[in-house]
Order: sequence, then C-alpha cells, then structure tokens
Amino acid sequence: MPRALYYYQYFPMLKAFFEHLDTEVVLSTPTTKATLLAGCHRMVPDTCLPIKVFVGHCLSLVGKCEYVFIPSIRCTRPKTYYCSKFLGLPDLVRAVIPECPTILDIHVDIDKGSKDVRRSIYRLRKYFPNEQRDLEVACLNALRALYDYRKLMLAEQLTPPQTLERLAGVPQVPLKTSCPSGEKVRVSIIGHPYVLYDDLINHHLVQYLYRAGCEVLVPEMLDHEEMEKAVVNTMGRIYWEYEDVLVGAAAVYLSDDIDGVIALTVFGCGPDSLMVDIVRRRVQAKNIPFINIMLDEHVAEAGLITRLEAFLDMIQRRKENSYASGRTSSR
Amino acid sequence: MRLGVPHLGDVWIGVKAMARELNVDLVLPPSNNQKTLALGIKYSPETACLPFKLTLGNMIEALKMGADMLFIPGGPGPCRFGYYNKVQKQILIELGYQFEMVTQGRGLTYILQKLTNNAPMWKIVKAYMFGITKLNILENLEREIQKVRPVEQKKGEANRIYQEAIFAVDNAATYSELRKLRRDFLKRLHSVPIIETGLPLMVGVTGEFYVLIDRFSNMDVEIELGKLGVEVRRAIFVSHLVSANPFILLLGLREKDRAHKAARKYVSHHLGGDGWQSVGEKVLHDKDWDGIVHLEPFGCLPEIMARNIMPSVKEGPPVLNLIYDEQTSKVGMLSRLEAFVDMLYRRKRA
Repeated sequence: MPRALYYYQYFPMLKAFFEHLDTEVVLSTPTTKATLLAGCHRMVPDTCLPIKVFVGHCLSLVGKCEYVFIPSIRCTRPKTYYCSKFLGLPDLVRAVIPECPTILDIHVDIDKGSKDVRRSIYRLRKYFPNEQRDLEVACLNALRALYDYRKLMLAEQLTPPQTLERLAGVPQVPLKTSCPSGEKVRVSIIGHPYVLYDDLINHHLVQYLYRAGCEVLVPEMLDHEEMEKAVVNTMGRIYWEYEDVLVGAAAVYLSDDIDGVIALTVFGCGPDSLMVDIVRRRVQAKNIPFINIMLDEHVAEAGLITRLEAFLDMIQRRKENSYASGRTSSR
Repeated sequence: MRLGVPHLGDVWIGVKAMARELNVDLVLPPSNNQKTLALGIKYSPETACLPFKLTLGNMIEALKMGADMLFIPGGPGPCRFGYYNKVQKQILIELGYQFEMVTQGRGLTYILQKLTNNAPMWKIVKAYMFGITKLNILENLEREIQKVRPVEQKKGEANRIYQEAIFAVDNAATYSELRKLRRDFLKRLHSVPIIETGLPLMVGVTGEFYVLIDRFSNMDVEIELGKLGVEVRRAIFVSHLVSANPFILLLGLREKDRAHKAARKYVSHHLGGDGWQSVGEKVLHDKDWDGIVHLEPFGCLPEIMARNIMPSVKEGPPVLNLIYDEQTSKVGMLSRLEAFVDMLYRRKRA
C-alpha cells in the first residue's frame, strides 16, 4: 500500500480490512528524495506534487508485493467531489507504471448509492478465496478501526502521523519547545492532509513550527461536523472533499483566537487555487496575518524557512505592539 | 432585471435568440478579447484556469454595462468549473457590484423561472428550439468550412463567409429565413474555387471544452491549421451538449459516448471534465486521423490526467499538446503547429 494521499486519512481502516482477510499489508517507506524523483520521471511535468509522490511510492512497491490497492475515489459524501486526480488513480498508475503489480481497485462513488460501493468492494472477492460473509465482517472491522482512529485523534489533539505512531505502538518523543510557554504564538495551518503530514513534501514544516515555539493547529484536530457547518455557513453546499479542511477549518479557527494562518498548497492544485483565494479574503478581512506557501519539487528548504521566519517575526512583533498598546490579544 | 451571461465561443447567438423570444433583457458583454482577459487576470487567483479568468472578465464587463443578474452554468463533477460561481460571486461582491447570481445549484425549474420572468413552459421550449436551430446551422457551416479551408485558392475566403454567416444568422427571425440562409451559405461555400491537391492531412482537435470552442482562447488553432493545408475535425461541438435527439442519445451515437466506449481499456472511470473523451478520441480515430492536437488550459485537472494516460495508449496517431494560459504567445503556437504538420506530412508520405 503506498504511503501517500489517502494513507493519512484511511490507513487504519484499510489495514483492518485487509488483515481480516489474512493479507499481509506491506507499506511503502516514508517519502524520500528518490521516491519523488522516480515519480517525477514518469509523469507529465505539470502534474501536482502529491500525485508524483504517489506514483513514486507505487514504483517503490514494485517487486515487494503481489497486489497494490489503489481506489478510485469520486465522492465519499453526497455531491462532494475529490479532484480528478483521485478519480483516475488506478488508470494513471496502470498507464505510467506498466510493470506495476496487479492493482486492486475499487470505485467509491456515494452519489450512486452505497450499493454501488458495496458491489465494487465485492468485486475484490476474486482475489480473496474467502466467503462473502467474511468480506462483510472485514468491512465492519474496517469501519470500526476508522472510527477509533478518528476518535483518538480528536480526543488527544494529535496529528495523523502521531496517531498512526501511537496505534503502531511506537514510543512517542515529546517535542521540545524552546520558547517559554504563555507567550506561544498560535498558528493554524490549513491544507490537504497529504501535504501537511508528508515531511518531504512540506520540508518538515510542522516540526519547524513546533521548534520555533508555536502552537500548531491543524484541521484534523477539529470536529468534522463543526468544519462542515462552517463551510455551509460561509460558502453554501460543500463542493470539494477537502473544502472542509481548508475553508471550514479556517473559518473555525478564525472565530477562535489565533495569531496567523498558513495555507499550505501545492502548485497546480485545482481546487486549492480557488479555495485558498476565498480563505485569503476572509482572513485578511479579519486583519490576521496570512501566508500562502506553494510547494513543488523545486522548493528549497532554506527559502521556505526564510519566509516562515519572517512570517513568525511579524506575528511576534504584532503581538508585542498590541501588548504595548494595552490590548490583551493580538486582534 | 438585466441578465448578463459569460461567453462561450459562438453560443451567444443562440442565447441572444432565446432572450429575444422570451423578452428577456440580455446584456451581452463584448466577445472575448485582450481587455476581457486583462480584467479577468487582474481580479482572479493567479493559478485559476483560463476559462475562469475569461468568464470573470465577461461578468465584470456585463456588470459595467448595467446587468444586475448573472448566469453561469455550474455542472457538478470533479472539475473546477462547478466551483467557479462561488469564487466569482465573492470576487464581484468585493469589487462592489450589486447583482444576483443564478446557478445550477437550485434546480432547473428555478433557473428557468428566474431567468425568463416566469414565462410559460411552452414558450421556453419554443425559444430553446429556435436558439438551438441557429447554433446547428452555424455548426453545419463550420463543418463544411473545415473542409474548404485547406484547399481554397484565396486564403481566408471561407472565414469571410463564416463571419457573414454569423451576422446573418444572428439577424434572422424565422425558421424559413434560417433555412434559406443555410442553403445560400452552403452553396456559396461549395462554389469557393479550390486547389486540386491529393488528400489533405486530417487532424483532429480535441481537449478541454472551453478552449476547444472559444476561438479567442485557442488562438484560432483551427484557422491556422487550415492555412497549413490541414483538414480539421473537432471532437466537441456545442450541439453535442445541448441537443436533445433521443435516438442519438439512446443509441450512444454521440461522439462523446463512442469515445468513452473506445477508451474503456485505458480509463475505467470518468475523469471529470473531458479527460475521458480526450483519451477516447485517440483510440477511436486510430485510422482516420493523421494527427491529434490536444488543447487544454494550463492546470486543467482532467486533461493533465488524460495527458498522463495518453502515451500508454497503443492505438492512435501522434499527439501535439497545446497548453493555453494568458502567457501563451501565438507565434510559439504557430511554430509548434508547423513542425507538427511537417512531421505528419513526412509520416504520411513514408
């Protein structure tokens, strides 16, 4: 299973599903420069970065497993769409990696009814000699795992990689912060989970913020329903799958007391190009610092850090000024 | 109420005819031009695609001309197009315009009533049919012109006739007038003196819907191919989307359905937009086209997928990708087209 894209949201679910079917799940290693390069070579240059990384992960799995699970996801909520890259994933991988192991693909389209999804899951049956009943139990197990995963994340305010580590039983290293507490800068990062938590794509940005003594707020720490409601309030019906983690999370955090918003996007992301514009307008209307960091494979870490430092310095100075002028918060 | 609509190629003729029949006060912004684009770029997010910028430019122009209601279709599906209206609305409100935006979100009957001042249904259907007829006639002419263009003796003759046809069809008010116009213009086209050459090259033009149909955004790619002596076949016509001929729909005779079927081997699900069809055209026209020119606006999600999948398609002629945004220069496009056509000639002779 490639460690990219939907991995951060659905891995526990998929793992539970396949392990119930007595399948060993082989996960690709965390993204490296080599993974990315391998992916880049196979793709048209203006494809977005996460897809290149995904293809790189698939390439790294060649020869290590018999099957690769790649779903084609259209929508997981009614009338809410993933972008076309998600839709064409299996076809894309088949086209650019001819040597790829057999692809297990399911088509997820809730608009066509849950029966359609079920049918497409049952189509996997030919790969598993188990009975139909077993598949159903596997699905139930998978759902339970997903539910637990989300609950843990919400309850402990963890990011997905931290939660996954916790689930895997890896001892956690508490992150050291150099700044004395109380003066903490509260920064909210918004972006797609596969950009926020892939350390190669975002050049360890989250860790950098932690080290700089910020309190980092990510969309996954919020309640899904709350974010959805925020989107509906600001934009009307949700259109994109990740609209709630961008527009919604921004709206929720804006009503909270925060010092800055970082929008982490990748170059060439269609939905983001429009959504971030809306977020920017809303954040600036509230007079809160906002920075849009656009990532691609050419971004240099040094340049990124310079920009972040400047951004954090600016926030710090604003805070000091507002304290000096006698106000309690930076608003 | 004054209704403003963004442009899409020559569709304005149909829209105008409908508005006239239904007594709707229509504000038609000037056809897409550099000024429209400049306006659009100024207020759009930088990485938005070309159709977004152009339609935004149209809207601003329409609002300046006094429109107070805007209509933009926003089909559902995983392409940015469905999201345009929300962002554009936000941008226009911030620019300080007063208007109402009508989109597809609230159901067809709502839109029809809203846009037509509660006109009775039969009147709407009648107006729709009349508008479609006008578009169909223009498309008939266009198909003929694509054949005449490469072989005409005096270059530019066919285009001139088409310009006249647009004007005449726009002014026609009855079906009998339209029939006569169609006959006359077809006759004129057939009497254009031509050069007798062998079989000209046949190149299909496919890709994203908007740039394919809008001549400003694709920089007259069809005309330029015609000048190079190439017969052009376009994959998508407006009538494919709006026609309601049940036989063609049910039997799957539409170009789109046939292309989808052909692409089954490579694309198992819809890619959103026209990505599926673009791949399909390559399979479908394996034998009859000598080359394919694939158009897309920069950053188009479905077409990027199509472009990734296309090289692995075993059938089909060579493909030239042309990507459009506000930075594209026509000269660059021309030299690429020339090189491509040269290559096709050499390939055909060999």
